[in-house]
Amino acid sequence: MIVTRSWLDEFIDLSSVSNDTLYETFNSIGLEVDSLTEIEIDPKVVIGKIISCEKHPDADKLNVCQIDVGSGTRQIVCGAANVVDAEYVAVATIDAVLPGDFAIKHAKLRGVESEGMVCASSELGLPDTGKGIMILDESIGTLEAGKAFGSYACVADTVIELELTANRGDCLSVYGVARDLSSALDIEMKVSEYKLNNKMKLGIGREAELQSKGIMDADLHYKLATIDTISNSFLITLRLAMVNVEGEGKLASLLAYATHTTGVVLRAYNSRIFRNDKDKICVFPTAKVKGITEIINDGKVLSVVGVSQEASVTANDATKEILLEASYVHPDTLVEAVSSASLKTDDLYYKTSRGSNPELPFGLSFLACLMEKYTDISCYEGSLNVNVERENKTVIVDVEEISAIIGMDVELGKVATILKKLGFEINSMGNNVIAAVVPLFRHDITHIQDISEEIVRIIGINNIEAKPFVFAEKARLNDTTERYKAKKGFKNRAVGAGFYENVSYVFSEKALLEKYGFSILEEALELANPIAEELNTLRSTVLVNLLNAVKRNVSYTKKSIPLFEMGAVFDSKRAQSDVISFAFSGQVEGENVRNSGKPKVIDFATFTQKVGAVVGAFELVPCSYNNGLIHPYQSANVIVAGKVCGFISKLHPTVQESFGLPETFIAELDFNTFLPKHINATPISKFQGVYKDLSVVIDKSMNYYEVAKVLNALDQPMLKDIYPVDIYEDEKLGDKKSLTVRFFIQSMDKTLEDSDIETVMNEIMTALEKECQAELR
Amino acid sequence: MKELEEKIVQADSLETLEKVRIELFGKKGILAAEFAKMKDVPGPEKKAFAEGLNKNKSALQASFDVRYEVLKAEEIEKVLKSEAIDVSLYGTLAQKGALHPVMETMDKIIDYFVALNFAVESGPMVEDDFHNFEALNLPKYHPARDMQDTFYFKDGGLLRTHTSPVQIRTMLETKPPIRMIAPGTVFRRDYDITHTPMFHQVEGLVVDAKGKVSFANLKAILTDFLQYMFGDVEVRFRPSFFPFTEPSAEVDISCIFCEGEGCRVCSHTGWLEVLGCGIVDPNVFKAVGYDDVSGYAFGLGVERFAMLMHKIPDLRSLFEGDIRLLEQFR
Repeated sequence: MIVTRSWLDEFIDLSSVSNDTLYETFNSIGLEVDSLTEIEIDPKVVIGKIISCEKHPDADKLNVCQIDVGSGTRQIVCGAANVVDAEYVAVATIDAVLPGDFAIKHAKLRGVESEGMVCASSELGLPDTGKGIMILDESIGTLEAGKAFGSYACVADTVIELELTANRGDCLSVYGVARDLSSALDIEMKVSEYKLNNKMKLGIGREAELQSKGIMDADLHYKLATIDTISNSFLITLRLAMVNVEGEGKLASLLAYATHTTGVVLRAYNSRIFRNDKDKICVFPTAKVKGITEIINDGKVLSVVGVSQEASVTANDATKEILLEASYVHPDTLVEAVSSASLKTDDLYYKTSRGSNPELPFGLSFLACLMEKYTDISCYEGSLNVNVERENKTVIVDVEEISAIIGMDVELGKVATILKKLGFEINSMGNNVIAAVVPLFRHDITHIQDISEEIVRIIGINNIEAKPFVFAEKARLNDTTERYKAKKGFKNRAVGAGFYENVSYVFSEKALLEKYGFSILEEALELANPIAEELNTLRSTVLVNLLNAVKRNVSYTKKSIPLFEMGAVFDSKRAQSDVISFAFSGQVEGENVRNSGKPKVIDFATFTQKVGAVVGAFELVPCSYNNGLIHPYQSANVIVAGKVCGFISKLHPTVQESFGLPETFIAELDFNTFLPKHINATPISKFQGVYKDLSVVIDKSMNYYEVAKVLNALDQPMLKDIYPVDIYEDEKLGDKKSLTVRFFIQSMDKTLEDSDIETVMNEIMTALEKECQAELR
Repeated sequence: MKELEEKIVQADSLETLEKVRIELFGKKGILAAEFAKMKDVPGPEKKAFAEGLNKNKSALQASFDVRYEVLKAEEIEKVLKSEAIDVSLYGTLAQKGALHPVMETMDKIIDYFVALNFAVESGPMVEDDFHNFEALNLPKYHPARDMQDTFYFKDGGLLRTHTSPVQIRTMLETKPPIRMIAPGTVFRRDYDITHTPMFHQVEGLVVDAKGKVSFANLKAILTDFLQYMFGDVEVRFRPSFFPFTEPSAEVDISCIFCEGEGCRVCSHTGWLEVLGCGIVDPNVFKAVGYDDVSGYAFGLGVERFAMLMHKIPDLRSLFEGDIRLLEQFR
C-alpha cells in the first residue's frame, strides 16, 4: 500500500508531524514502512504560462514557445508534441539542476535560442505521468507564473510505501491509513462532506430499478450519471503514478483514484446494457451461493460482486450514461466461495478479499464529487441500495485481563480512548469491564487478544517494560534434547576427522534415484507441485546430493573433498529417518612436505578408518546392498551389535565417470544405531598377557569375516582379542592365501604358563582346520 | 697436583675425560699409587700424609664433577642440534573439517535456550493440514496462507512450511507448563536470490497458567537472546500480524553492519528484522484443548541469523557444499 503525505493530509492534519515522526509512528503501529521517499524539486523549476507556441523554422518536431516564467518572458524550444495543448507547464529555468546533476544552460537548438526547458515528470524525478511534458492544471493549487513548482505540497510530496500484514484490509486505502494514524498520533480526523453542486432534480427511481434475488450477502449501492465529456486532472494522474496504480483511460483513473482514497470497491457500467424493452434500467443482483452475488441481465452474468466484471459492460471514456456501483462483501465468506469455485478474479479482488471499506455512501459520493469537479457530469438524485443486515461483533474487554496479557497495568480510560479513535463503540459495563463494538471494517477482530494487540500497537511495544518470566522449574532434558546433543557430538567428531558438513535439500530427482536403484515414493504419495525437475521428489538417500556437491567442488579445483551430511531420508511409504552419510573424493590429504606434494589418493582402508573415527567401532562383511553407486568388489555392510546399519563402498566406476570425479568412497549409515548407549565396564586382569601370531593358509576366496566368525565362536575366556595383521598371496600358494591373525591371551586369575598358551593356540588351530579347511603355514 | 688438575680441565670430550678418570681414580691410577705409598710413611707422619692426600683427592673429584657436567651438557646439545628441523614447514599439515555455518548457528541458538531449561522438541517434515495450518488459526482460504507457498503431496499431505506444527504436536502430547524450542527444516515453494525451497527455523513456545505469561516476558527473553547472539545491539519491537499470535510483533536489531547509520544491508533504515513473536492466539489453545492458560511463541530463520552473523552474501551458496565457503569456518 502506497500513500503520500499530502494525500493523507486531506483526511488528517499532518502540519505538525515531521516525516521522521510519521516513519516512527507507522513502524510502531504495525504498518511497516518499506520506503519513504521525499521528492525534492529545484526552486528554479517554476510554473510557466505559455503565451505563444510556433513551429521551429528548421525542425518539424520542435516548437518555439514564448513562456511567462514570472520574472519575464523566455523563449524556449520544446521537443514534446503535446506542448501545443498546454497552457501551464513546469519550466526548468537557467541554472536549475535536475536529477542526474543535469544543469540547465543557455542553448541554441537548430539556430534558435532557448532559455530553459519545459519538463516531463521523469525529468524532475517524479514518476512517469505519460508521454510528453506535464500539462498542469489547478487541481494541484492556484497556478501562477514564476511560482516554484516544488512549492506545491502534492508535487514535492513524500511517498510512503507500507508493508501491510494480511489482516489489515482496512488500511488498503488512504482514508484507512489516516484513521489508524489519527489514533496513534492523537489527532482528530478532518470532517469532510461530499455533496454534489449541480444535482439533477430527477430521482434515480425514474430511470432505474433494483431487484435482488435470493438471500443477499453483498451490500450494493448504485448511482446513475450522464456525462458529456470526461476528463480528469493532473493531480489524479500524478498521484496514481506515485502510488503505482494504473487506470486505462480517464474514467478508469477516476475510479481507481476514488477506490485508493476511500477503500470502497467501485465499478462503472455502461447503463445501456441494463435498459429493458420499456427503456428502464433494471439491475438484478442474484445471490448464487453464500459469498457469491452475480449481476445478471438477460441470463448473462455481467459481473460477480467483488470479484470480476465483463469488459463488454464496463463503462469507458466514450460512455455517455454510466451506472456507478459500490459494493461490499465480507471477505471471509467471499474468499472461501471464490477459492472453492475457482473463479477468475480481477485487480479489485485483492481489496475485497482482504476486506474493503463497507462505508459505501462515502465511496460513492466521494467518486461523484470527484467526477463533478473535473467533468461535465450530472447525477440523478439518490441511489439504489441493497443493504445487508450486518451485526457488529461485540468483544467484552476486561482491562485486568488485558493488563495480564501485556504484562503492564493499563488504565480503563486509556483502553477506551484508543478503541474509540480506532472506530470502536465503547459501552461501560462497570468493574473495569467494557463492551467494545467492533466496526465492520475491522473484520479481523474477534476476541480479547485482538483487542490487546490494538492496545499494544498504539501504546507502543517500546513502552512496555521487559520482565523476566517466573517459572516453576523441572528438568526438561528429554529424548529429543539428548538426540540433538548426540548429533552435535557426531558432527564435531566428523569435523575432527577432516570432513566438512554439507547441508542439501531433502529433495531429489526421481529419475536419478530410479537410475541408481534407490527406493522412490509410491506414486500416490508423490509431491504434487515440485519446484523443479531436479527437486521433484523426497530423497531416499543423501548420497546423490553429496555426489553433486563433490562434483561442484571438483569444478572449483578442490583436490581433496571430504564431505558428510546428517539428514532426513524417506522410504517409499514416506516414513522419515535420519542417516549420516559420507563421501570422500580425491586426495587423502592436502599436498605438503611430508608427502612431497604427492599425497595418496583415498582408499578403502583410509576411508573406513575415517568413518570409524566418527561413528565408533563396527564390523564389515561383504555388501548385501544393491544400488548403482556401490562397487561390487569394494563394498561392505557395516555391522554394529550384530545388526546391519548401512554400507561403505568405493563409488562404482561408471558413476564416478558420469559425475566426472576422481577416486571416491561413500558410506551411508542409520543414525539411530549410533545413539550413545549405556556401557558397563568389565573387570581388567591383573596378570600379564601375551600376544601370539598364527599364520594359516586358506582358500583365496575366503573372506576374513568367515575366519573371524569361527574364532569369535570359540568358548575360550582367555582369548581377549583377535585381529588380522597380514595377508599374503603369491604364485607358490596358487589358489590359496596366507592369513596372519594376532591373538591376545590373558587369564583373569593367574600368570600364564606355556602350556596354557599352547592349549589356546591348539584350540584355535583345530577350529580353523575343521571350519575353514585352514592349514598351518 | 697442578698437572693433574690441568688434565681434567683439558679433557675436551666425555671419552677423554673418562680416560683421565681411569688414569687418576682407577684401581691402578695415580691416586691409588699415592695411597699405596702410605705404608712406607713413618707412623707419626701417617696422619698428615693421609689428610693431605684425601684433600687432594676431593679437590680433584670436585674438578672432575664440574668438567663432567659441562661436557655432558655439550654432548646433549650436540645430539639436539643434529635433530634440528624447519618446523615452519609443518604448520599446514593439520587436517580439520568444518561445521556448516547454518548448523553451527542453530547449535548456538539451541544452546542458549537449553541453558534456560527449554526442552528441545521435534516433529515430522511431512505434515498434514491440521497441524501446519488449521490448528494454528489458519483456516482454509485464510489470506495469510498466501504468505507461505506450500509443497503439497498427491494424497493431501504437505511439507511443513514452518516449525510451528511442532508446537501443536507437543501441546497435544503433553500438559502445561510447557517450555520448548523446535529447531527444524522447513519448506516453501519459492526459489530466487533470497529464497530457497528448504531452510531452517527455530520456534519457541512457553505455556503456563492463565495470567502468568505476558508480552513483557517475551520482550525480556528475546532482548537477552538477541544480545547473546549479536552482541551489544539495540532491540526494537514493532507490532505485526501472525495468525497464531495476538498481539504479534516483529523484532529488529540495530544494524550490525552500520551500527544504525543506515547502509545497503538494512536498506538504510538502521534496523535488521530478525524475529517474529507474540502472545499465543486463543484459537490455537482451543484447537489443542487447553483452557485457562497463557503463553508466548516466537520463530526465527536460522539462515538469516547465520548470514548476518558471518556476513555471508549469498543464501543459495549455503546449500551447495562449497568447500571454499565451508573451509572458512574451520
